[in-house]
Amino acid sequence: MTISLLPSLPDSFLPQLMAGVALNFEIALTSLLMGLVVGVPLAFAKLAGKAGRLVYGATVPLLRAAPTFVVMFFLLNVMPQAFSLFGHNVAIAPSAVVALSLVPYSASYVSENGAEALGHWREGSRLAALLLLPNLARAFFVMVMSSSAGAAIGVTEGITVILRQAEKLPALGDRLKLFALGILVFGCLMQTGFVGVMWLRRYLSAKTAGSPALAAAQE
Amino acid sequence: MAALLRGRCAAVMMVVLAALGPCVWASCAWAQAAEATPLPSADSSSPDAAFASTMAWARAEAAKGCRPDEPDRLVRIVCAGTLRVGVRGNYRLFGFEEAGTRSGYEIDIARELARRMGVEVRFVGVTPANRIALLGENQIDLTIATMGHTTLRDGQARFIRPHYYASSTALVGPRDLHVPDFAALGGRSVCVTVGNASNSEISLHGGRLLLFDSPAQLVDRLRAEACSLIAQDDSFLASAFLDPVFAISYDTKFLFDQLPWGMAVARDGSGRLAVTLGMLSQIFHRDGVFLDLARRNHIGTGFLEAQQRVWAGAECNEPAANSDPGCVAPPLSTDLAPTPFAASVTGVEDWLGAKLGIHPTLAMFKIAPAWDLVRNGLINSVMLIGGTLAATLLFALLFSVCLGFGGIALRLPVRGVIMLLQSSPVVLTLVIAAAIANAMFTFSATAAMIASMLALGLTNGSYAGQAIAEAMAVLRAEALQQGVSTAPGGASLLQLALRRSIVQIMAFLINATKGTPVASFVGAPELLNALTDSTSFSADRATTYWLLLIFYTLAVLVVVRLCMVLRHVLERRIARS
Repeated sequence: MTISLLPSLPDSFLPQLMAGVALNFEIALTSLLMGLVVGVPLAFAKLAGKAGRLVYGATVPLLRAAPTFVVMFFLLNVMPQAFSLFGHNVAIAPSAVVALSLVPYSASYVSENGAEALGHWREGSRLAALLLLPNLARAFFVMVMSSSAGAAIGVTEGITVILRQAEKLPALGDRLKLFALGILVFGCLMQTGFVGVMWLRRYLSAKTAGSPALAAAQE
Repeated sequence: MAALLRGRCAAVMMVVLAALGPCVWASCAWAQAAEATPLPSADSSSPDAAFASTMAWARAEAAKGCRPDEPDRLVRIVCAGTLRVGVRGNYRLFGFEEAGTRSGYEIDIARELARRMGVEVRFVGVTPANRIALLGENQIDLTIATMGHTTLRDGQARFIRPHYYASSTALVGPRDLHVPDFAALGGRSVCVTVGNASNSEISLHGGRLLLFDSPAQLVDRLRAEACSLIAQDDSFLASAFLDPVFAISYDTKFLFDQLPWGMAVARDGSGRLAVTLGMLSQIFHRDGVFLDLARRNHIGTGFLEAQQRVWAGAECNEPAANSDPGCVAPPLSTDLAPTPFAASVTGVEDWLGAKLGIHPTLAMFKIAPAWDLVRNGLINSVMLIGGTLAATLLFALLFSVCLGFGGIALRLPVRGVIMLLQSSPVVLTLVIAAAIANAMFTFSATAAMIASMLALGLTNGSYAGQAIAEAMAVLRAEALQQGVSTAPGGASLLQLALRRSIVQIMAFLINATKGTPVASFVGAPELLNALTDSTSFSADRATTYWLLLIFYTLAVLVVVRLCMVLRHVLERRIARS
C-alpha cells in the first residue's frame, strides 16, 4: 500500500507554480526599484535641513501606515487602467497594480534605512553604510511574500496558482497538503533569502571589523 | 404625491379598461384629454376579443381623419402605419445589429407585435441611458430593450404586463467545480460588475468579489482563471454559451435574483396602446409565441415555460388578469429608504462641489441599506483590529514563554511552528485558517472573522514572540556574564524581555493592524468588503476607495499612537518597580 503525500496534480501545475513564483519576484523587484526612486530623495530630505525634515516627517509616517492590501484595491479602482502617455497607449496590468501597492512600504523602508546609511556615509564609515544592502535584500524578500496579495485581484502569482488548484480538490486533507507544498516552496525561498542576507551581513561585518562607526551602528 | 398617484393609476389601468369602463379612467389626474374621452367598450370575454375591439376602435378613429397632433398614441401608430420600436444593437441574442441586419428575441417580438397590429415596424437603436427618454420625446412608440421592470422605473414609463422575459443572475464557473448553492460559495473568488444589485448577496454568503467595469470582461477573466466564478445576468451570459469551447468548459451553477423584463410605452397618451400590447403579451404567453421566439434565438426559456402555464390557465386567460397579482409577476422593488441624515450628506456634497470643486458621491451615507453595510463594516473592522491585536499579543506571549521557559521537547516543535508560520505568505495562512474553520463550521461571517484574527495573530505573534524570547536569551547571557540574578531589580525576566523587545512588539502590532483588510479575502465582513458591496448602490468607486484608504491609514496611525502610550506606561511601571 502506498500513501500519497500529495494529491494528484495536473502536469501543468508545477510549471504554473514556478511561473507564478517568478511573478512574485518580478513584482517585488519592481516595487523595490520604485521604492528606491521615491525613498532615496526622502532619505536625502531627512538630512537636508529643517524643510527636508518637515517633508520627510509629513510623508514617511503616512507611507508607513498605508496598508498594502487597501492601497492595492485603491489603485485598482481609482487609478485609470489605461491612459495615453506622449501619444502612446499605456495599459496597467494587475501585477503592476500589486507592485505599485507595495511602493509605500518599500519607499518608507528605503527612506528610513537610507537616511541611516547616509548618516554613516557622511561620518566616513562607508562600510557601515553598505549595511543598507542586506537590509534592502530583507525588504525584497518581505515583498516577495507580500506580493501574494495579488491573489485577491486575480494576478496569477504563486499563491493564486495554489488556490486555483485547491478549489478543484474536494477533500480538506488534499487541500491542506497542497497548502503545505505552497508553504514549502515559499519557505525555502524565504529561508534561502534570509541565509543570503545573513551571509551578506557577516561578510560586510568581517570587512568592517574594527570600524568604530560600524560598531556603533550595530549597537 | 403626484408621482405616487401616477404610479397607482398605471397599476389599475388595465383593470379599469377591461372591466370598469372609461369613467374611472378619466378620474386619474395625470390622464391626458384624449385618454379621458369615451373608450369603446372592450370585449372582456377573452384577451383576443379585447385586443380586436381596441384595434377596431383605433382604426375607426383613424378613419375619421388623422391629425398631426393626435394625442392618442395607438391611433397615431395606426395613422402612420408604423410602429417605432426602440431596440438594443449590441446585446447578442436579444437585440443585435450586424451589417445593417437586426436579429434577436426582442427584434422578433417587435416584428410579431407589428404584424398582429397590421402595421410596419421601424427599429430605432437605443441604449440603457436613453431607452426611456426617447419614449417621452416621442421618438419611439415602444421600447423593447432588455429593460428590467423595477418600482423605480414604474414612475418613468408605463410597463406592459405580463412581462415578456425575466433574467436572473447566473453564477457560472468551470464544470469540475461543485457549487450547487450559496452554501458552497464561501471563500471563492467571484468576478462581478460594479453596481450589480446581486453583489451584496454573493458577498453575504462569503464570496470574494472582484469588481470589473463591463460584463464582457467577466468572461475573459473567467477564461484567464482570474476568478473561480462569475456572476452576471443570464441573458448576457447566454451568448457566451453559444461558443462550444466555453460551453464544454463551463456551466451555470445556479440562478438567483430574478428580474422581470418589460416592454414600455410613454406615460402620456399611451393608455390604449398599453392595453393593446398587454392583451397581445397575454396571447403570446398563452399560445407559446414568446416561447417559440425564445427557442429560435437560443435563450433561456425557464421563465417563459412557467408563464405559458400561468396564462394558458382558465383563471388568467381573460383581460382582467392583466393586473391580477395572481397572474402577473410584480416588478422588482428598488425602493431604497434614505438615511435620517441623507439631506445633510447632500449638503456636504454640494459644499464640497461649490467650495473645493470636488464632486464625491456619498451614496453609501444617503441610502439606508448602503449605510447599514458601511456601519456594520466599520464596527466589524474595529472588532477585527482589536481581536487581531489581542491575538498577536497572546500568541507572542505564548510563543515567548514556550521558547524562553520550555524544555527542549517543547522548544523544538514550537520553533517548527514558528518557522512554518514565517514561511507562509499571510494570504495563504488566512486561507488555511478559513478552510479549517469552514470544514468545522458552516461558513459564517463570525467564523471568517475569528479565523482571520487567529491567522493574523499567529503570523505576527510568531515574530513578536521570537523577539521576546531572543531578548530573554540576551538577558540571561548578560546576567551570566555579570554573575547576577536573571531578574535584576525584582522585575521578572519576562517583563524585562518585554521592555527590551518593545520596539519589535510594536512593529508587529502595527503590522497586524495593517494586515486586517486581508481578512476580506476569506469573506470577513470588514470595511473593505462592506464598501465593495456598497458599490451596488453607487457606481462611483473613487469616493468609496478614498474613504477606505483614509480609514485604514488612520486606524494604523491610531494603533501607532496607542503603542507609544503603552510603551511609555510599561517603561514607567518597570522603572517604578
